[in-house]
Amino acid sequence: MRIIKETNINFMGQRKLAAILSAFVILAGVISLVINGGPKLSIDFKGGTLVSVQYTEPMDVTAVRSAMGNVNIDGQSFDFSREEIKHFGGPDAVSVRVPHIDDAPENFAQKIADHLYDSFPGRVPDNKTDFILGKGSVGPKIGAELSGKAVMAIISALGLILLYISIRFEFRFALGAIAALAHDVLITLGIFSLLGFEISLPIIAAFLTIVGYSLNDTIVIFDRIRENVKASKREAYHTMVNHSINDSLSRTIITSLTTFFVVLVLWLFGGEVIHNFALAMIIGVIVGTYSSIYVASPIVVHLHETASK
Amino acid sequence: MIGLVLMWAIWAIWPTFQYQGLSDAEKEMLREEGKLEEIESRTIKQGLDLKGGMYIVLEVDLPTLMETLAENKDGKFNRSITSVRDQLKRTPEANFFTLFTSTSGENNLKLSRYYYDYGSSNSDIIVALEDEAEDAINRVLEILVNRVDQFGVAEPTIQKQGDQRIIVELAGVQDSERARTLLESTALLEFFIVKDINTTNQLMIRIDQVLKGDTSISAVTKTASKDQLNDSQESDDQTVSVSELFGETEDSEASSDSAVVDENIFAERPFSAMLRNLGQTIGVPEKNVYAVKKILERAEVQEKLATVGGKFLFSHKAEEYPLVDGTLETMYSLFLVEDAAELTGGVVEEAKANLGPQGSTSAGQPIVNLTMNSDGARKWSIVTGSNVGRQVALVLDKKVHMAPNIREKISGGSTLIEGFADINEAKDIAIVLRAGALPAPVDIIQEKVIGPSLGADSVRSGTLSVIIGLGIVLVFMLIYYRFAGLIADFALIWNIVLVLAVLASLQATLTLPGIAGLILTVGMSIDANVIIFERIREELRKGKTPKAAVSSGYDRALTTIIDANMTTVIAALVLWQFGTGPIKGFATVLFWGILISMFTAIFVTRTIFNSFTSRKGFTKLSI
Repeated sequence: MRIIKETNINFMGQRKLAAILSAFVILAGVISLVINGGPKLSIDFKGGTLVSVQYTEPMDVTAVRSAMGNVNIDGQSFDFSREEIKHFGGPDAVSVRVPHIDDAPENFAQKIADHLYDSFPGRVPDNKTDFILGKGSVGPKIGAELSGKAVMAIISALGLILLYISIRFEFRFALGAIAALAHDVLITLGIFSLLGFEISLPIIAAFLTIVGYSLNDTIVIFDRIRENVKASKREAYHTMVNHSINDSLSRTIITSLTTFFVVLVLWLFGGEVIHNFALAMIIGVIVGTYSSIYVASPIVVHLHETASK
Repeated sequence: MIGLVLMWAIWAIWPTFQYQGLSDAEKEMLREEGKLEEIESRTIKQGLDLKGGMYIVLEVDLPTLMETLAENKDGKFNRSITSVRDQLKRTPEANFFTLFTSTSGENNLKLSRYYYDYGSSNSDIIVALEDEAEDAINRVLEILVNRVDQFGVAEPTIQKQGDQRIIVELAGVQDSERARTLLESTALLEFFIVKDINTTNQLMIRIDQVLKGDTSISAVTKTASKDQLNDSQESDDQTVSVSELFGETEDSEASSDSAVVDENIFAERPFSAMLRNLGQTIGVPEKNVYAVKKILERAEVQEKLATVGGKFLFSHKAEEYPLVDGTLETMYSLFLVEDAAELTGGVVEEAKANLGPQGSTSAGQPIVNLTMNSDGARKWSIVTGSNVGRQVALVLDKKVHMAPNIREKISGGSTLIEGFADINEAKDIAIVLRAGALPAPVDIIQEKVIGPSLGADSVRSGTLSVIIGLGIVLVFMLIYYRFAGLIADFALIWNIVLVLAVLASLQATLTLPGIAGLILTVGMSIDANVIIFERIREELRKGKTPKAAVSSGYDRALTTIIDANMTTVIAALVLWQFGTGPIKGFATVLFWGILISMFTAIFVTRTIFNSFTSRKGFTKLSI
């Protein structure tokens, strides 16, 4: 069976159109990022407290919100009704997120959970252990450190990859690949910002995986270009790049499809905790495939053409 | 060779399967036979997010440690430490010792005055104190290990991270609250003599007088109108919101949250109006606790306390007391005690939790029996002997557990503590007292608790998505590449088995992101096969024989696969280096997954292909 017969699509001819499309999506994401004042960070990076609880019947978020309007802990009263309160997984589970408070009472997360438990008697499991799905709090110090580490991780990964491609291919290939990566991460970040999803530690892992995946895709095409350059020197460079993309197109499509199915399954069935991770991967697979054809390759062609002039 | 690897993989992965199949009773039986540990040491561990449990990062409170180490503390020293503490709050990433050095310099603080045992120049002393801090963290680590061991958790992970942090991971712990208290408790046991009631009363009058002159408080009295009355309260009770009292912007209008005071006496005596008279002790209604703490923190109140050489301590828990009108009110007790402790927990030799003996006042109540060493016993008999008739407060971690009257001199050095909610609490306190006090208090700077039900959910959905994802890919490959697809499918399954085998022999922890990594490995492994198969097809289209096509297909795909996978390996390595907990799990799986899939794609499937194509009469390759 074959899905893709031998093709001869003029990918390089579509590069202007693709550039406009990419620019448009990136711009939308960047505007959203600017309006929201940067990406929405999870408590991993910002510090704060997160409590997820399981009720025995579906809960109305507004009811929980109003119950959180008046939380009394050791004589200190708080109004958390404007904080992030939402369903967690199903309609009968709720998660509450509260930013870091300087003067927070001892064992703050548990006290919030207790308040959520006591506010709805008769709608909670008898055992408190069954009630609390999870809770966590992160001090501002840890958050600041992690942000620094995450930035370092992404920068060092990109640096090493740049080095590897420069050695194995040529420097302009490395530039093309890095541009494609920046493109992918920016778009995923932008879409997350548009959808109002937060960037947590697992999402950073997803970003780095996207980086790895997109590169994988890009390098398979670059490899073809390298091979075809050796084989025939007479063809115009951009025709040859076109040729190479067409040669590897069936592999690109099949791999992307299988990976796409796999992450789609993860998104559908992976459960609440991994949901957004899988979503980042889905976006990454699509954008990564697109960028190796329409971002990485055109840049290599462009750099080659400018250099030979 | 391939056969050998396969056999090794099955051998490595077998204990994990065996372990999963065991019921709790069977595990218990094996444990008794001593065989369980052997199996456990060869299984893939489940991470916190799958098994449920808690993850806590503790940090030693350095400012307090430095305070404890200092001698002859004076106002200048205290101000400097407070200033460092504030700076740390504002810039949490700053280093304590750098701040301490610069602040000492600015305030012209001669450290040798306070730390004469540690050296003469400020810089020498700072170096010595740094050593002391490192020593403290090591002792904290030792004590925590000891406590957790006695608490009884299977496979705890307790390790040092950096200079002043300790990471504790307790997978599968059921009662996270108990474990948390156990870890966090400084276990500082102190015995204080309680000041007599006259001193206490006079001090309270003086505090009232100081506060009365304070406009911020009298202003509240004027503005707090009768409209804000909670109509269910007695008419002379007026509610004053704590936020109003201290000019905080957060508004809390609901009267049920506010401090409850007696309106008539609030104007005259703002401090005692918050309190209740419980005979021998002072009661603080639960709702007033925050306000009272805030008042006690004020500099002018601290000054008054210093003049009598005492300090206020709250009771360990709130109790219900009947009011004059018969209703019950939940109150903490407040004790004015001498500044210095008569005796500290260092003298404790043995601590045991028990139920109080029949016939005593604590009959049937959970108690902790303490036995002191000879030095402690001697001091204890002097303290009790010279204070007959007075109250002695037994204070654990700055909270008063009980304050009995001393009836007679106690010699022999044994005593008991009461005031526990249940026997579990008494047991835990006994554990921490036995393991010894921490050299400095620790703060929980990060915690994560995963409930067992969420963990079970994650395991279910993780397994489900692996099976479905794998199924889809297997079927797709079979349809698309037919016979070659079958080989690829075989390679894929073998791949997963091998990754699990490596994880088991590394004793790695499988986390939810780890499962995601496994699924991603499926994608990567398929990619290698797709690259090869597409190449073979191309070669076949050029009219080569199957044997030649397979051979040149593999050769030409090799560099592509290596280059393409190496970059992902780089990403995985960086993640591993940077990662904490779950991220590390993801990176581990991804790293091994890619290496193994390269191995299977390049060697295993090729060997299988060759064994078919080299047969005589093999003319058509189904691909």
